Amino acid sequence: MSLETLSELAQKATRLADKKGADQAEATAFTLVGDLTRFANSQIHQNVATYKEGLRIRVVLKKRIGDIVIAAFDPHSVESAVSNAIKIARFSPQNELFKSLPEPKKYAPLKGTFDRKTAACDPNFRADNAKRAIEVAHGKANFVKAVAGSYMTGSSAFAVANSLGTNAKAQISLAQMAVTVISEKEGSEGHGYYSAFARNIKEIDVDAIAEKAADKSVKSVQPIRLEPGEYEAILAPDAVALSLSYVSNGFVSTWFQDGTSFVKYNLGKQVFHEKFNLKDDGTDMATLYVSPVDGEGVPKQAIALVKDGVVDEKSICYDSYTSGKEGKESTGHASIPFYEAFGPGPDLVNMVLAPRDASVEEMIKETKQGVYVSRFHYVRTVNQPRMILTGLTRDGTFLIENGEITKPVRNLRFTDSFLDVYKGIQMIGKDQERQELATVPTLKVSKLRFTGVSEQ
Amino acid sequence: MSKDFARVALRTVQKLGASYADVRYVRIETENLHVKKGVPEEIRKGTLAGIGVRVIANGAWGLAGTTILKRASVVDTAKKAYKVALASARAKKIDVKLSAAPAKKAKYSTSFGKDPFKVSLEEKLEALKTAERTAAAESKQLIKTSSSFFRAHRERKLFLSSEGAEIDQTIVWCGGGVSATAIRNGDVQIRSYPASFRGNFNTAGYEFFESLDLGGHASETAREATQLLSAEKCPSTTTTLIIAGDQLALQVHESCGHPTELDRALGTEADYAGTSFLTPDKLGTFRYGSPKVNISADATAPGGLGTFGYDDEGVPARNVPLIKEGIFVNYQSSRETAALLNLPKGSSGGMRADSPLAMPIVRMTNINLLPGDWKAEELIRDTHDGVLMLTNKSWSIDDKRLNFQFGTEAAWLIRNGSKEKMIKQATYTGITPQFWGSCDAVSNDDWHMHGTPTCGKGVPGQVMYVGHGVSTARFRDVRVGIA
Repeated sequence: MSLETLSELAQKATRLADKKGADQAEATAFTLVGDLTRFANSQIHQNVATYKEGLRIRVVLKKRIGDIVIAAFDPHSVESAVSNAIKIARFSPQNELFKSLPEPKKYAPLKGTFDRKTAACDPNFRADNAKRAIEVAHGKANFVKAVAGSYMTGSSAFAVANSLGTNAKAQISLAQMAVTVISEKEGSEGHGYYSAFARNIKEIDVDAIAEKAADKSVKSVQPIRLEPGEYEAILAPDAVALSLSYVSNGFVSTWFQDGTSFVKYNLGKQVFHEKFNLKDDGTDMATLYVSPVDGEGVPKQAIALVKDGVVDEKSICYDSYTSGKEGKESTGHASIPFYEAFGPGPDLVNMVLAPRDASVEEMIKETKQGVYVSRFHYVRTVNQPRMILTGLTRDGTFLIENGEITKPVRNLRFTDSFLDVYKGIQMIGKDQERQELATVPTLKVSKLRFTGVSEQ
Repeated sequence: MSKDFARVALRTVQKLGASYADVRYVRIETENLHVKKGVPEEIRKGTLAGIGVRVIANGAWGLAGTTILKRASVVDTAKKAYKVALASARAKKIDVKLSAAPAKKAKYSTSFGKDPFKVSLEEKLEALKTAERTAAAESKQLIKTSSSFFRAHRERKLFLSSEGAEIDQTIVWCGGGVSATAIRNGDVQIRSYPASFRGNFNTAGYEFFESLDLGGHASETAREATQLLSAEKCPSTTTTLIIAGDQLALQVHESCGHPTELDRALGTEADYAGTSFLTPDKLGTFRYGSPKVNISADATAPGGLGTFGYDDEGVPARNVPLIKEGIFVNYQSSRETAALLNLPKGSSGGMRADSPLAMPIVRMTNINLLPGDWKAEELIRDTHDGVLMLTNKSWSIDDKRLNFQFGTEAAWLIRNGSKEKMIKQATYTGITPQFWGSCDAVSNDDWHMHGTPTCGKGVPGQVMYVGHGVSTARFRDVRVGIA
């Protein structure tokens, strides 16, 4: 379905709501094409091809809001959804904090976000690439036991219209591959992982992904047990990005307004290292889910979340509802239907941590006794205002001694304040990898507190 | 909903040469209500209807799904499923085999009294507003955010298979909760009732939500949040730990539910959630916990959020012991994984998908810790020194489900058989078999079903609703106070 058709649908639904008596109305029409080939134990075991279309209707009647999401575009379903949204609004109490749907704003469409070939990729293409990844990984060593992973291709598109005149649209194609390699030597397993997130299948280098995952895997067998404690740490981009996805809650307006954000208690303070510069910019092509507008059709603003280590009120990201509560303008951070999210509250999915000049080799050379972390796993927030996170290392954790990686170590549990961890940055990599929600370099930090060891 | 579309899809793939196929035609309705700080923050209804066609062709799986419910689209989707299966076969090592399952023709519905979708919005919002305002009123100075939640879900699905199964099933669940956040000088403390993360949910009608009596518990919930501000921090020590049901439910979920999933144990989730320390060589012999520990996967448990009549392969709901007197005796499985291990009773009936467009995967049903022979109060009276922890706040576990760490909203220091004082920032950590091996008592008078509607698994990610029947239990020599 074309973007223009989606746009017509959204406008039509808005007009319908208008006609039925809504004070304000907004309609978002979206489509999601998700084709994914998944493999494990060195063969394809799941393989799906799905198409989903949906329409969200939001109507306002004297500050009473009705909200409906349906998965159909036929006229009867749309009419019924509009009527139901109005019915919900009629029976709802007023939301005095609601100010208005966003006023229309001009935006510049982004070029090069959609590749037709990627969006309509054949299952044989994904299957053959899965097979190739399996072959490359097994070719790394004869003790590679199993290869797992997935290759996803597809597209997302949405158009949003509102009764104030907003009329915006965006689309992207998506290609993502992840490979996990399991090796085994004398009963001891080693795991390795690598992934790539792109908008074009041309950017997916299957051989390189499989090779990197296999390399980590074969080097991870027969790990030693490292005693918990504070260690210098080198965090690979995958680990940095996952930790930032939790740190980013501090920049979300709902957390800020509720008083649970660490930013609230550190306004104007340098909470991170002075070389730590983090932004969220939905139009930065280095990030994955690029879009000129957010899910409400508001142009995406680049927000300096952390500038020279300092956070302040300008670090906070808003949608129209939460900005209205403070009499501010939306920063264009309403959830985007690209990944089928409809709030509540803003989303940060385009973070970029500025790279510097260090190579990973230099970081290792500068480490006396530390840990190289390839990935974090199952990270959760233990204390929001202090940004204490817990989680584990995974798929390649190594001991560094006197400037060299010497041994693989068992997965470690960390529990630490990531305000402290990222205040203690010693080196920032010149590499910059695009992960799903953030594009980041490798970081070397002066300490990460490990509080436990996994048994296997 | 008519079976015609499903039959059309089945005929299409059978004609093409599929050796097995099933079709799920599903309609899901949802309602989410959230009142926060005196205003209706979220009033949202949703509907998703679609069809998913799962096929085995040339010994490999393919699935295609669509939300376009027109005959031509259904035929195209069925053809695509077949094509995807053929593509899968380009990288297969062994052919998919399914364990035997009866091809049932049946109609089933979870039981409910008042249809939660038919109760007026005004009534539900009034109940939420009352609870939220009551929580807020506890302390205008300290309670900075108060929220109340209601959620309802109705799923009707038709399941037809090439083996002759025709099942028409309806699942209805609902529930909710209330929470209060107290803040003073940057110290943020939250309390929730009857559970954190939006409350508790059962397969039941609106009467279940009413029985929670959010309004009646809101004051106490908020009061405890304010009391936590003045509480001491949980000490860092190794001690006796008593865990209440609203935390133990998640402990069971993470450290027993997931590692007993056979797909994980066989490596097919290795790329995302991970594998399992409970490898097949341990089945029937491995000591998972103390003899006090009995855990089952029971899809027949009344009210459980993981209760249904048939799973998404048409296998009838079963009650399967997983841990018997501490010994690991069974997996949760599917027809394919059961065949791989030649499990004599076949699938445990745990294949579930979160939408018609998703591939069914091995999922928890209701993973229940069976009641022991203690009263909950006796557990405290019998404990000289220890900590009682309540209501989950954070959770994390490694990719083999061994090393875990949980945090709770509230905790009490226990001295000489009584609750001495409330403590905050409580966390505990352990290694799964050692931890369950240290369980020396399970209560029986406070056993009930806890619903977890947000269990994530699979690629692409799926979110499933599962249940946990648990009570209070006691564990010795547990490390607490990590953060």
